[in-house]
Amino acid sequence: MTAFQSDATTRTNDDVIVELRDTSVEFGMDRGTSKVLNEVTTEVYRDEILGVIGESGSGKSMFASAMLDAVPEPGVTTGEVIYHPEEGDPISVTDLSKEELRQFRWEEVSMVFQGAMSSFNPVLPIKTHFVETLSAHDYDIRRGLTRAKELLSDLYLDPERMLNSYPHELSGGMKQRVLIALSLVLDPDLLVMDEPTAALDLLMQRSIVSLLEDIKEKHDLTIVFITHDLPLVADLADRLAVLYAFEFAELGPSERILEEPAHPYTRALLNATPNLSAPLEEMRPIAGESPDPVNIPEGCSYHPRCPLADEECETIDPGPYDAGPDHDVHCHHWEQSIEDLDIAFEETSDSGTTASAVEKASGDPLVSLSDVEVTFGSANDGWLDFGESETVTAVDGISLDIYDNDVVVLVGESGCGKTTLAKTAVGLQTPTGGTIEYRGRDIWEGASGSTLADKEIRRALQIVHQDPGASLNSHHRVRTILEQPLKRWHSDLDGNDRRERILGMLEYVGISPPQDYIDRYPHQLSGGEQQRIALIRSMLVNPDLILADEAVSALDVSLRVGMMDLMIELQDTFDTSFLFISHDLSNARYIAEKTGGRIGVMYLGELVEIGSAERIIHDPQHPYTKALRWATPELEVDQVAEESPMRSIDIPDPTNPPSGCRYHTRCPEAREVCATQTPEFVDLGDDVHAQKSACFRAYDDHEYWQSESITDEHADANVGTDTDTDSGVTSESD
Amino acid sequence: MRSEDDSTTTNESTDAAGAPGSVDELIPDSGGSTDDRSDATVRSDGGTVDTDSPFETTSTVTETRGDRIDRFLEEYIRTPWSILRNDWRAMVGFAIVSFYIIVGTVGVYLVDSTYPAHGPQMVGAFENWDFPLGTTSAGRDVLAMTVHSTPSILIMMASGAVFTIVVGTFFGVVAGYKGGIVDTALSTITDVFINIPGLPLVIVLATLLEDWINNPVTLGVLLAVAAWAGLARAIRSQVLTIRNESFVESARAMDLSTRWILTKEILPHLMPYIVVNMVNAARTIIFAAVALYFLGVLPFSDANWGVMLNNAYHAGALYRPSAYHWLLTPMIAISGIAIGLILLAQSLDRVFNPRIRARHQDVGGDETLEPDAEDDTKEMMNV
Amino acid sequence: MNWKIRRFGQAIFTVWAVMTLAFFLTRMMPGNPVDAFVARVGPELDNPQEAYELAEIYMNINPQDPIHVAYVDYMASMLQGDMGMSMSQNDSVAAIMAEAIPWTLFVMSWAIFIGFAVGISIGALMAYWEGSKFDVALTGYATIITSIPFYVLALVLLITFAYRLNWFPTSGRRPEGVEAGFNIPFILGIIHHAVLPVFSMFVASGVASLTMRGNSIRVLGEDYLRVARLRGLPDRTIAVQYIARNAILPMYTGLMIAIGSMFGGAVVLEEIFTYRGMGYYMIQAVRARDYPLMMGAFTVITIAVVIALLIADLTYGKIDPRAGNEDHDAF
Repeated sequence: MTAFQSDATTRTNDDVIVELRDTSVEFGMDRGTSKVLNEVTTEVYRDEILGVIGESGSGKSMFASAMLDAVPEPGVTTGEVIYHPEEGDPISVTDLSKEELRQFRWEEVSMVFQGAMSSFNPVLPIKTHFVETLSAHDYDIRRGLTRAKELLSDLYLDPERMLNSYPHELSGGMKQRVLIALSLVLDPDLLVMDEPTAALDLLMQRSIVSLLEDIKEKHDLTIVFITHDLPLVADLADRLAVLYAFEFAELGPSERILEEPAHPYTRALLNATPNLSAPLEEMRPIAGESPDPVNIPEGCSYHPRCPLADEECETIDPGPYDAGPDHDVHCHHWEQSIEDLDIAFEETSDSGTTASAVEKASGDPLVSLSDVEVTFGSANDGWLDFGESETVTAVDGISLDIYDNDVVVLVGESGCGKTTLAKTAVGLQTPTGGTIEYRGRDIWEGASGSTLADKEIRRALQIVHQDPGASLNSHHRVRTILEQPLKRWHSDLDGNDRRERILGMLEYVGISPPQDYIDRYPHQLSGGEQQRIALIRSMLVNPDLILADEAVSALDVSLRVGMMDLMIELQDTFDTSFLFISHDLSNARYIAEKTGGRIGVMYLGELVEIGSAERIIHDPQHPYTKALRWATPELEVDQVAEESPMRSIDIPDPTNPPSGCRYHTRCPEAREVCATQTPEFVDLGDDVHAQKSACFRAYDDHEYWQSESITDEHADANVGTDTDTDSGVTSESD
Repeated sequence: MRSEDDSTTTNESTDAAGAPGSVDELIPDSGGSTDDRSDATVRSDGGTVDTDSPFETTSTVTETRGDRIDRFLEEYIRTPWSILRNDWRAMVGFAIVSFYIIVGTVGVYLVDSTYPAHGPQMVGAFENWDFPLGTTSAGRDVLAMTVHSTPSILIMMASGAVFTIVVGTFFGVVAGYKGGIVDTALSTITDVFINIPGLPLVIVLATLLEDWINNPVTLGVLLAVAAWAGLARAIRSQVLTIRNESFVESARAMDLSTRWILTKEILPHLMPYIVVNMVNAARTIIFAAVALYFLGVLPFSDANWGVMLNNAYHAGALYRPSAYHWLLTPMIAISGIAIGLILLAQSLDRVFNPRIRARHQDVGGDETLEPDAEDDTKEMMNV
Repeated sequence: MNWKIRRFGQAIFTVWAVMTLAFFLTRMMPGNPVDAFVARVGPELDNPQEAYELAEIYMNINPQDPIHVAYVDYMASMLQGDMGMSMSQNDSVAAIMAEAIPWTLFVMSWAIFIGFAVGISIGALMAYWEGSKFDVALTGYATIITSIPFYVLALVLLITFAYRLNWFPTSGRRPEGVEAGFNIPFILGIIHHAVLPVFSMFVASGVASLTMRGNSIRVLGEDYLRVARLRGLPDRTIAVQYIARNAILPMYTGLMIAIGSMFGGAVVLEEIFTYRGMGYYMIQAVRARDYPLMMGAFTVITIAVVIALLIADLTYGKIDPRAGNEDHDAF
């Protein structure tokens, strides 16, 4: 700590609900003590929403746990954590006895974990979880359950159905909301949410975040919202704190952090975050990696990655500097940082996109899908298997052409069939209807089982998976993993040539020195390195089309842009077409806009809109695309908190999709005709590649415009009654 | 045990070399487009990119035959040994099993075989050093009988275990990977065998097929009839999971051969399970074999542990303390090898764990490994 | 619903397969019991034809019938519960079995219950004190007990508690000279006779405790346990509803496999204790080459196991809410 101690705390103690004084969390490891929270001093004000931003390995979960003194064993919390109840004396949380702590947690401060999927006991119904909690704290069970039901309906859930369900019967989004209700059932004053939405897709995340505001007002809550996803909390939080390497880098009011961040890390993080409005040229990855908790750099922990680092940074730990009212920054050179480091925050200049891939792409399609249909769960799959069967139509009659040098990004909620469609396009999923043609030849011609007959087609269509850890066989070394495609497709090479080529490829994608990496096992590589290995493995067979299935979503935010850049570069260098899958519209936009590709929007097995990135982002026609657009948070502060453009949060049951336009149960514009007639694609331009939308609203003259609106009468009935989204759709990997 | 907190996850990679964040890279040159890539571009984790395509390169250095042999030895001999050397269970298990093997091979030449009236009747253990473990009521040497029955027991155990593994793995892998009608057929057969109680089935077969059961190998195979099905079912469900893993899908997409996928992509993941089950199957088979000899339902030509138990039992060893040694010796012999096999099974799965392997090799150097790595397969063997 | 029917079909298929196997072994193997019987008995009789009739009485198979007719006849009589006549016991196989079944079920169900109850308790304790000396000692104990065959333990128990200490009878299944029925001395006598056989199966607790230990340790690391602790649930609720339930459920498969092997083990155990159950008769039949009784005992033991597994499997859905609507990994 230096002499430049901040005196920004102008508020009185009444306003503070929790304060941390030099709080540290340590784990003893073989290699030494690992400090996963390093002498943090901060306050949380009553009735605020504090957003805490940090990449994985920044100590953000420890920060959350420390507030309840709930650090998992064998971690040790030191320093002070003081809780100020509304009435009465401050409580030192770290000094509470076991019984006092038991009562304190959940009654005063409660917590929502990242792992909502596994936060419920799988063998007990939801109701038991509520009852147990109430009786453990000697609350009146009947009154408590009434409150629980109220909370559940506030979260757009059907209380009776939820309470009587078992955890496995609920979708991820439902479980997450039930968990929020469970955490609020004892009426705590402070709610700590640790990555509460990380496992959900964007639309659900956004829906939950937008509900939080109301919940907070209604129940007089203070919320600490911890996430790696800055844009998600940008317009929700009153104040933002940025964690880096187990310490706060910067803490201040949201608008200050977003508009004039003072710490170089914050500025770099903002640049590395894909979003819908910033100019692409200004998005760039952060070089280097987060430090190891055992070996935190001396002085400012960011100095090895910081462009402004000098000797002072290497030796002296920067104390909080006062960078404005309530705005503390832990950087010696924060003024220089504001001056010298630009951030990509200005509105996009709407400059023309780069050379359009579609324009480059000409002639016959490379891969052509026509009327493709994929159904899971066949009617009868063996002897003695009768009774009604549940089939899910994951892909329902989609036609799509992919050209040479083309880039198509499929977006949609989980369960919409985008992965199934894409795998069908590259011949890894057998369609139950329709045809897929590769340069005019049906790829399934002569195929037996699930293997393509034509090996050349097989070679031409490749895949890069979502989870880099799972896409490499953990039992093989990098050498073996990369040798196999070469052995199969370049039989002219001998062992030494293969080795040379592998080394060259590794070097090319920035894994160096390659000699060190070639004999490693996948678990000895970082996520980014694993993903590159997976990528070059598929490149080694010279494919024409690569399916990249959520290829960046498993990576840290700061690495995503780098990975996408690499793919785009490879696409450009090797004239390969890419089919990307993403649930994140901002990633989709980054790729599509940079390559001039198209974005296709899928909903419940149907393609509802497709067009260039610019059209989809700035002029979405289909109401569902608008909803996705709404769900993609922006790095803006006082953005008008728009109402959700959907009438219900949960996707309808895919085993029994709605009639007519499938989106009519959630669409704010739905009219009676939507429930009966199915809209066809409408070209919104003359060009083959022009935007297309499957909505009656795209017609100027359609009976839709005379039809009665159904939004009002159905609004209440639909809330919460929609069923499980995850059931049955087996192949969806997100 | 690990918390779900990500902050304790250490970054496993050693610092990627290259130019870590020079100032120029972070300050955007206004107006500069990203297409304008100069000589080297900084990757997000610090590597550099050259513009030369590496696709056309050929080798400049040659790997000698010696290097390859060295790599082979490292992979299959030195590393497993180094892993097992550090585990007391493995060492004890190895020692016990080796002892039995030595007794079964060398021991039979050191200890003369015995015959009725070889010595005095019913000498107790440790009373007469000509007959250290005593004699039977017929005056046969207990030690010699024990030693000379070891080879046939070991052969029976090995053949039974191998049969169990081969059939179980075949049924499991084929049913799991092929799916469809093949799966239905193989799974049905497996289910039938799981439902039939093993020992009675073996007794019936042994009684009716008496003429064919005339050597330890066929007997081992017969005993395995009752043991393979459980393994087949377990392997099938594992293959079903592995089949859908991304790395298998990638291999399929690259059109690697089915043989490669089954043997090199899927089988290594099953190896710990298979080996642990093979050792457990060996134990089950010895138990069953001795039980059947003890019951006297198997034909036998010479004494073995089970027959000794049977003879002692019928000679009234239960109520004659003077005959206890006759009963106890085979009991200890069978329990001893079982302990050796269990300890071996508990430690063998470590050999196949790539995380542990890596720790025992030079490459990769100093990175740390999570402490949970070794628990993965321990659970399997206990089911 | 669907998988229940399927599961039921599988059980019937297994029983059919076993009966067919029995027919095949009895009639069609070279040197099979039927031919051997006719060859042995025929010459001693005045009318050789009688040998075929006797074969049909004993084994339900008339060697003169064509195979398919014999098969249909055989299956028909099996389905009616007619398993032929015992050659050594002078009674119908069905009657002998009907009398023996309850005794085997009695001993084996207690053996399974006690083995698993003890194993689970020890495993839970080991997990609770994971890493302590207590844990190490119990793990060692469990490993050793697993490596002892149950019949070795049975012999040791028999020597120690029956022959040397005279606490328990050395053989038999019911007290002598006591009126059979629901009276205290008789019931106590039965229990007295069953104690040693039941505790011989104690070795099963070794595997159970090691599995329970592993499962419990895994559950201790689950998210829902951490949340439950934060919610301030009482330790008892956490131990029973959270740890125990979730740790025991995956052991169900192991339990079911144990049922099969324990019924198999009954064959050896009943012989050692001269406990007249199904297994005892089976060994007697093997020694006397009494094929009808042997095949009958085998068929009945198999059916008992099939039914036990079926019941266990169908009840699994009751205790694990996740099972029941699909083909789960148990049976």
